Amino acid sequence: MTWAAAVFLMLGVAGQRLFGMFVAGSLLARRPLSRSFADLVPVAVVAALVAQLTFSRAGSLEIDARLAGMAVAAVLVWRRAPFAVVVVAAAATAAGLRAF
Amino acid sequence: MSKRQAAASGAAEYLTIAFTYFTVGVTVSVTLVDRGVDTGLTVGAAFMVHSATSVLAYVAVSDAGGAMIAGLLSGWLVASRFGLLAATLGARLHVGVPERVLAGLNAFDPNVAMAVREDKPGRVRSVFWRTTAMMIGGWIVGVFLGLWVGNVLGDTSRFGLDVVFPAALLGIIGGALRRRDALAAAFSAAAITLILFPALPAGLPILLSVAGAAVGVAYSQRQQVPS
Repeated sequence: MTWAAAVFLMLGVAGQRLFGMFVAGSLLARRPLSRSFADLVPVAVVAALVAQLTFSRAGSLEIDARLAGMAVAAVLVWRRAPFAVVVVAAAATAAGLRAF
Repeated sequence: MSKRQAAASGAAEYLTIAFTYFTVGVTVSVTLVDRGVDTGLTVGAAFMVHSATSVLAYVAVSDAGGAMIAGLLSGWLVASRFGLLAATLGARLHVGVPERVLAGLNAFDPNVAMAVREDKPGRVRSVFWRTTAMMIGGWIVGVFLGLWVGNVLGDTSRFGLDVVFPAALLGIIGGALRRRDALAAAFSAAAITLILFPALPAGLPILLSVAGAAVGVAYSQRQQVPS
């Protein structure tokens, strides 16, 4: 993270929020298909990040304790556990496996 | 439900939201401090960007060795949902332009969801700002506590903190994943990234995972066609 990156991220995020508040509402209401595509973009990109963070290590795919932690996280998310429980249980699982 | 019970469950909901954003704040700070980012920039990035997902997305791409522009694009893409949430809120919020600007800049998932549940315009406004205050309060305390936690822990992978990062992101989209089309989009996006990851420059597979959203749309279109 650099100050330049933080400033550019800020401009892009704030810009999209204001665009949504003042412009996008009426545009998207007329285009239901674009609306449902736009709805799914964040979920898709975040899921891709989750996959990369779970399986990648220095440019290649690798299966290790992270996968076990994420499996626990997935079950807890599915069971509607509180956010903090998901995060702590995932970390504890991975840490526990590494301790052996 | 009696009035008293309703008030109690409302308060519990606000506290849950505050606690969630507290945890998200801790996660963001710890993640940045762990990468050697100094205190000023960690706090600056957290409060300027005003989106944990964007910061985490940027960090994930640069960790993988991606170019700055790829990190920025990922950070912007994951924040596009705030634009949609602001649009949803905007349609229900009848206030002057300055307050609309402020509300738009503070559009997050829980505050918009809770506000648009209300029927009366006055309630939409008060519930939105009350939820926002709880979230931001939790977030501020979390960011500062995270600075301290990050500095104290040292070797963070021993504590499984490399898993906190993806687990937090999964928790953020957990609610959305209850929809079938979102699940289809998520799995296709994950598959696209894992297949392309070893072959393409870092960051690019994440950007191409946007195609997963098209798979989700195709899935929901198919469901709507009567057989």
